[in-house]
Amino acid sequence: MTEPLLAVRDLQKYYSEQDSFVDSLLGRDPTSVKAVDGISFEVERGETLGLVGESGCGKSTTGETLLRLREATGGAVTFDGTNVFEMDDDELKAFRRDAQIVFQDPFSSLDPRMTVGDIVAEPLKIHGIPESADGESKREWRRDKVADLLERVGLSANHLDRYPHEFSGGQRQRVGIARALALEPEFIVLDEPVSALDVSVQAQVLNLLDDLQEEFGLTYLFIAHDLSVVRHICDRVAVMYLGNVVELGPTDELFESPKHPYTKALLESVPRPSTAEHGRRVEALSGDVPSPRNPPSGCRFRTRCPQVIPPDDLDIEQETYRAVMDLRDALAVGDVNPDHIWDAADPDRADTEAFIEEARARHIDGELRGEVAGVVDTALGHLAEGEPDRAAETLRERFESPCETQRPAVGDASHPAACHLYEGSDEVTVIGTTAGAAAEADD
Amino acid sequence: MADTILSVRDLSTRFFTEEGQVNAVENVSFDVEDGEIFGIVGESGSGKSVTALSVIDLIESPGRVTQGEIWYRNADLAEEFRGSKPEAVDGDLVDIRRLPKGVRRSLRGPSFSMVFQDPMSSFNPSITVGEQIAEAVEVQRRARSNPRSTRSRTQGYGLGSLLVDSLLPSKSYVDDESMDRAVELLDQVGIPDPEDRADEYPHQFSGGMLQRAMIAQALAGEPDILIADEPTTALDVTIQAQILNLLRDLQEQEGMSILMITHDLGVIARMCDRVGVMYAGEVVERGPLADIFENPVHPYTQGLLGSIPDVDDPSGRLEPISGNVPSLLDSEMPDACYFADRCPKAMTDCLTRIPEYELDGRHSVRCVLAEQEYDPADAVDSADATDAADQEVSADD
Ligand SMILES: Nc1ncnc2c1ncn2[C@@H]1O[C@H](COP(=O)(O)OP(=O)(O)O)[C@@H](O)[C@H]1O
Ligand code: SF4
Ligand code: SF4
Ligand SMILES: [Mg+2]
Repeated sequence: MTEPLLAVRDLQKYYSEQDSFVDSLLGRDPTSVKAVDGISFEVERGETLGLVGESGCGKSTTGETLLRLREATGGAVTFDGTNVFEMDDDELKAFRRDAQIVFQDPFSSLDPRMTVGDIVAEPLKIHGIPESADGESKREWRRDKVADLLERVGLSANHLDRYPHEFSGGQRQRVGIARALALEPEFIVLDEPVSALDVSVQAQVLNLLDDLQEEFGLTYLFIAHDLSVVRHICDRVAVMYLGNVVELGPTDELFESPKHPYTKALLESVPRPSTAEHGRRVEALSGDVPSPRNPPSGCRFRTRCPQVIPPDDLDIEQETYRAVMDLRDALAVGDVNPDHIWDAADPDRADTEAFIEEARARHIDGELRGEVAGVVDTALGHLAEGEPDRAAETLRERFESPCETQRPAVGDASHPAACHLYEGSDEVTVIGTTAGAAAEADD
Repeated sequence: MADTILSVRDLSTRFFTEEGQVNAVENVSFDVEDGEIFGIVGESGSGKSVTALSVIDLIESPGRVTQGEIWYRNADLAEEFRGSKPEAVDGDLVDIRRLPKGVRRSLRGPSFSMVFQDPMSSFNPSITVGEQIAEAVEVQRRARSNPRSTRSRTQGYGLGSLLVDSLLPSKSYVDDESMDRAVELLDQVGIPDPEDRADEYPHQFSGGMLQRAMIAQALAGEPDILIADEPTTALDVTIQAQILNLLRDLQEQEGMSILMITHDLGVIARMCDRVGVMYAGEVVERGPLADIFENPVHPYTQGLLGSIPDVDDPSGRLEPISGNVPSLLDSEMPDACYFADRCPKAMTDCLTRIPEYELDGRHSVRCVLAEQEYDPADAVDSADATDAADQEVSADD
């Protein structure tokens, strides 16, 4: 296999955030937001790699950090064999020509005071292009070039002297694409390039991107949250969750046989525009995405994962286990107020049995049996006494999941998934990565 | 066939702006039946939100509903106005546009309620979520115990702070009973630990949780019709799935009807029984879900369906609609089918205003293809189909 155009290794980007003025006065450590936390992938020449995930999972940060538009916290990015983070001035200048970005918002990403012609010509000017132009002025050369670019993206050369506000969203996105093409790049990061567009116009722009890729042999990193768009345009797809890549594979394979429970949930959630969709009830993931300020230990997805793995020696149904884990998480963050349970169970706060029954009814659907029932009731007993931490600890002792003590690593096979359910299977060889494979102890 | 709870006829809404008259909604008609979810789908600016706001009487200056009837089934109101306003009553139906302002306003809550796209801007940031819901409960309780008086008292409230940002000190209007009901509502919409969450402020809620809270607030008046305007557009797809499940459950439990507005044909397919497709302020096609998705007649409906990539099938090139979403400035609206400048089947017969054709009792379309085959010999160059000034800036594939 030829060398990939772009290789990302253990990329990290933490944003630091001083919690408050007082914190900074006291010199407290800023909390860091682990926006991208040790991700690796490669982009082959001429392909489109999709980066998909929900808002805030680190897609845009990834795109901007690998282009060195933001400073990385750790890791390496290699473009065409050279480490991007260690480039000298000349190398960086060349990189800034070869790698471009198109942003999501066609309304704010273009300078409203510049004509479309100047916007598209700007990168040429900055890079001193052309070095010389025979027979005409450099300015004329650039004007011709821009006129040509505008036509390439489906606008007219007559639009040169117009301002962005005179264009619709789809047309502005075309202007952004023309500007990205001006320096004849090899690689373009497309950050949600069609998300702000209406579907009829979105389809025009997707077709345009397809055509340009073919015409100029471009390599794309296509960032999106819309899975249908990703399926349509990408050759391979990386799925991100909370700063991690959780699954990566060829598009058809990933969509037809998703491995990671998160990918499965995403695909299951997408509403299909067909009559067969009518009344379909999705087994929706519970809860919200946790904050990247304080991500869960082990597998980032474990707080919502419907397949979270119970301890080996515990006999428990999957759904019950999920419910117990949810209860435990809620106890640990102080989200279960025993007062309300007492109010409903026994306002005199005497009948612990009634308390336990009420608490169970609120948090766990269905029957509990045997050992599981015993441990849960002991924990709820602690809660009744006003000791939620002790309740959480009691649950942790017996119910601790390998998913919380061990961070699953992304394998290096053609379709890896960062999930303990796939570890040790033949198709995945786990590789050690500094940020990824290290077991993290639960604190 | 189920009874009709809402019947909108020939509704037009205009905005009289500095740039000129905007025909945001034009001769729109549709029915919502008991217990159904009726969907309105269309691209941005097609008039979906304005249609909803017109129904619930929230169009503000420079906008005005300029024509049309909004028939709502309510036996009590019909009885009340049969004598004094016979023209506003037809059986159990009343044309709410002809009711006095105060009466009409009092329908917000117990009759119509609304959920918006952006929950963050729909809550007052400085009042707890519980209080804001309790306030809506309070307004409804007063309405029930003394309908006459509340009609004046609810002025300025709308649906509590859901619809009107009340400047009155809210505390004084919220008693324990309303607060208990607010907690119950939060519980009903799936907010864990509702007693504590009720005391939190909007910024302490995630987007999905706040959307649930807004739904709870909308349920306070036990509405007959819940209008949901892009209720999941601001949410991620896994959270969207939760909210769609919730809306369906509530619809079944409460037996209410939902008017669901979205640009997402997938959401329409999952949720709606019947659909109206809007383009340039008009409903261009309307019918049961299967008719719209499997037998679309209007080239715009067809184009919309052809534009969406299929998450289950990557093959094939997308077939976008050429050109751009039109402006709705009256001065730029052609005396032709509004879609003619983008329509691949535009013919000479399309160069006049097109009426709504009934295909069968349930499926109607605003397109000449309802009555005639496409005839290439009769085709007009789409550029001729409109003299709109925006033609010259439009870029097609
Ligand atoms: N307050 C207003 N003032 C002027 N024009 C408006 C106002 N609200 C909406 N419009 C116009 O009405 C048309 C329909 O808008 P809207 O109903 O919001 O569309 P949709 O909900 O389908 O995106 C658009 O042209 C929009 O610009
Ligand atoms: S590692 Fe565990 S929690 Fe994470 S996705 Fe796999 S099964 Fe779920
Ligand atoms: S009336 Fe004519 S122009 Fe309009 S949608 Fe139908 S075929 Fe196309
Ligand atoms: Mg809208």
